[in-house]
Amino acid sequence: MSLTDTSGASRPLVADDSVIRPKRGVERLLAGNAWLVFAFLYLPILLLFVLSFNDNRVVGVWTEPSLRWYRAMITDSAVLGALRNSIVVAFISTVVSTILGTAAGLSLERFRYRGQRTYDGLLYLPVIIPDVTMAVMMLLFFVQAFDLLGAMLGVSATFGIGTISLSHIAFNISFVAVVVRARIVGLDPSLEEAAADLYASRWQAFRRVTLPLIAPGVAGGALLALTLSLDEVVITSFVAGPGSTTLPVYVFGLVRRGVTPLINAVSVLMLVGSMLLVLASLLLSRQRNTT
Amino acid sequence: MDDHQLAGTLDAGPLAAKTPVLDTVTTEVAAVSGIEVDAPLPAVRLQGVTKRFPGGRNHDPVVAVDDLDLDIRDGEFFSLLGPSGCGKTTTLRMIAGFEYPSAGSLQIFGQEVGLEPPNKRPVNTVFQSYALFPHMTVAKNIAFGLEMQQLPVDEIDRRVAEVIELVQLQGREGRRPKQLSGGQQQRVALARALVNHPKVLLLDEPLGALDLKLRQAMQLELKRIQEQVGITFVYVTHDQEEALTMSDRIAVMDGGRLLQVGDPEEIYDRPRTRFVADFIGDTNLLIAEVLDADTARLYDGTVVRVPTGAPAGSTVTLAVRPEKLGLWHADAERDLRLDALTGTIRRVTFLGNAINYEVVAGERAPVELVVRQGNTPGIEHFADGERVRVRWLPGSVAVLED
Repeated sequence: MSLTDTSGASRPLVADDSVIRPKRGVERLLAGNAWLVFAFLYLPILLLFVLSFNDNRVVGVWTEPSLRWYRAMITDSAVLGALRNSIVVAFISTVVSTILGTAAGLSLERFRYRGQRTYDGLLYLPVIIPDVTMAVMMLLFFVQAFDLLGAMLGVSATFGIGTISLSHIAFNISFVAVVVRARIVGLDPSLEEAAADLYASRWQAFRRVTLPLIAPGVAGGALLALTLSLDEVVITSFVAGPGSTTLPVYVFGLVRRGVTPLINAVSVLMLVGSMLLVLASLLLSRQRNTT
Repeated sequence: MDDHQLAGTLDAGPLAAKTPVLDTVTTEVAAVSGIEVDAPLPAVRLQGVTKRFPGGRNHDPVVAVDDLDLDIRDGEFFSLLGPSGCGKTTTLRMIAGFEYPSAGSLQIFGQEVGLEPPNKRPVNTVFQSYALFPHMTVAKNIAFGLEMQQLPVDEIDRRVAEVIELVQLQGREGRRPKQLSGGQQQRVALARALVNHPKVLLLDEPLGALDLKLRQAMQLELKRIQEQVGITFVYVTHDQEEALTMSDRIAVMDGGRLLQVGDPEEIYDRPRTRFVADFIGDTNLLIAEVLDADTARLYDGTVVRVPTGAPAGSTVTLAVRPEKLGLWHADAERDLRLDALTGTIRRVTFLGNAINYEVVAGERAPVELVVRQGNTPGIEHFADGERVRVRWLPGSVAVLED
């Protein structure tokens, strides 16, 4: 796509030769650079895609095309279990973090309260904190929380889907809040005042005016949360219990046990999944521009 | 007292039988029998209303509105006029319910509403930015308030159609606000508020975003609509001309305080303070020494006739509008009915519909005056440097309090 752009730019824009234009050599170099970037980005993807249809047991040796590994994937109970976990965790964490993140964004933009600035600063910590640190933090927190629960209520809790979901919610709130807040900033506060002036209660004003107007931001935040949750490896691997691994964590484990072409098929599945999500968010943002 | 009441009741007998409106009867009777009747309830009554915002310099609260006492009468077009930051918008927002007073009492038709949320008040607002809901059509925008009040659908439809006709937006019902011009958006904002039949309509500089021609047209339009619906309008503006054109009464504010309340003529012709005289229209401010109750002397020695209201020997400031002054040849015969001052023209400015003359009188302590003559046929034009007599009717000079 950007290749055609580059060649388009190399054509003279004006007929007048006295106008100074960039040297041909520079333009060639830039065009070449674009090719190079493309190669770096998309050759591995192409390779992955092609090899996922390879019949051979050895990853790098091409024999003949087949759907063998896709068949293996959809009959492999471990893969399917991990996929199911991934979807459950992504769903729970997206719904919860979208609600909480939207509330956080609204409270920071629309209300004034004690401790707000501190809250504002701390809310974005998960965005900058290293994944490993976050993972250790969450692990420590859960161990302590389980001890406390056991000692005080006699409830025994353990690592699993619940802990993974909670961890994903923890980091997703920040991302949702950032995206939603950007949308609220562009919203005229007098719209909400107008709703209140026209006899709407707080909730009605939110439902009928605020929410429809920030909906593209909320949807964008939700898609981001969904993508982040589906891709997350480090934190998940720390707080996942036995038998509750997610798809990316499972793939990571497969690599350590030796690469089989099954990984290729699973990776293609994940790639297609994320691309669909990105496409959806692009469509949403386009709609955002027209409203 | 008892006799009066008794007489009243007796007199009311045959009257009451004729007319079913009891209120009118008691009022009439009371008026006849000389009993003092309570004045009609003001649409809005502010008593000692103060608004402090937290977090100024050194964390001292900022006083936006300072101990305001104000009655806005039922059915009048009332303007709050002042420069930006004078507290006029904060006052309006307190009446609307977007801000709560820090102290004082705020009543709408006798009902204390100071701490009620906006959706519980019988007022509606036209916002400066219009604040039309961009995701709704014109009709949906206008119907919003009625839907929130859960009125029956057929009544909503009827009232929306009615108000669309009132603001002349027929055929635009299905459009989105973005598809309308500024003037049309303005009409939608007005219709969206009026459709609820508010007891008081609040308007926050609603014409500020329109260009001059459209603004002037909308001024007349707003006035027409106000007279047609008969609702009290409270109008916030920093445009003195707008306030003078449209209002029944004007309140001039500065620094969170009320400086003067009166009808446009009163505010323009008899400003009470320097600020009011200066903010509304152009004015000549003259320092004078009080001679007695009816005369004062300007620095150049000219004696002028004004009701000074100050002890002899004290200093007062006089205000006189440039267009109330007339120019005459210095050597012409004096008209004793007029006060006059002789001076020299220092500058002539042609304004199109008028000509401004800057006249300086006196030498050691010069008095400067601006005289505005309408550019009407037959009027004599004067040149720079000419000796002239500036004359005026004694009643056209106002004495300021500060």
